[in-house]
Amino acid sequence: NNPKKSGPTLNETFLGLLYPTENYKVYGYLTNTKVKFILVTTDLDVRDADVRNFFRRFHSAYVDAVSNPFHIPGKKITSKIFAERVSTIVKSFGLSSAS
Amino acid sequence: MVREVSESCVESLMAEIVSSYCRGIYANKPELAAPRIESIGFQVGHRLTERYTMDRPRFTDHLEAIKFICKDFWSELFKKQIDNLKTNHRGTFVLQDNRFRWLAHMSVDPSVETSGSIQDPSAMAENKAAQAIGLHLYFPCGIIRGALSNLGIPCAVSADISNLPACSFVIRIKA
Repeated sequence: NNPKKSGPTLNETFLGLLYPTENYKVYGYLTNTKVKFILVTTDLDVRDADVRNFFRRFHSAYVDAVSNPFHIPGKKITSKIFAERVSTIVKSFGLSSAS
Repeated sequence: MVREVSESCVESLMAEIVSSYCRGIYANKPELAAPRIESIGFQVGHRLTERYTMDRPRFTDHLEAIKFICKDFWSELFKKQIDNLKTNHRGTFVLQDNRFRWLAHMSVDPSVETSGSIQDPSAMAENKAAQAIGLHLYFPCGIIRGALSNLGIPCAVSADISNLPACSFVIRIKA
């Protein structure tokens, strides 16, 4: 389970491009708590900085979602607010204005 | 946008948790109160680690994780760092806080020494005081255990209050 690390820092959360395929690009992100985010995109023009930004915002939304005391760790996240936030992040992915 | 809660509210809530579980919910089975409180702490610690490790690179080993608990994690929770860290290099760590914030407002009666005349009752009273304080430490022990568990380090955490107002947390990492 050792993804290829393209960045120079060994223990960074952002793992970079995991492997390119013909139609998709797959990016990985590993948190300190061993939670894995996998981003699969069909957009072959995507920039590294955009993906990092995406993961940062997604991580923030994730942390808020699991802070919910009614969320059971390990189970699927059912929060609508989380779904909306992710939707917003996804929609603004790749646009040059980053917040 | 950061929401804040007054610290006195948090302290009152902590005290009430102990009181409710020990004297109310589990009044007939007091030995069940401690694990229950500790597991609430576990859930809290678990979630807090998720939040406080967000912008950090991953830890390389156990010592790094423990140091995170001593510095950043403790600062977020108690506005100070752990004062002293000891280890036997074989999986046991002792974290000493010389003035544990959540015990700071509790009356600790050191004058319950043996007066010389009646040995037993005063020793019992001192034991009761220590016991009562001990009840309030299950929650923070749980927090530490939950935090480390989410970092991939299963362990057992206990508190040592032989040296009040200093409080030591003993972490034993499971092999």
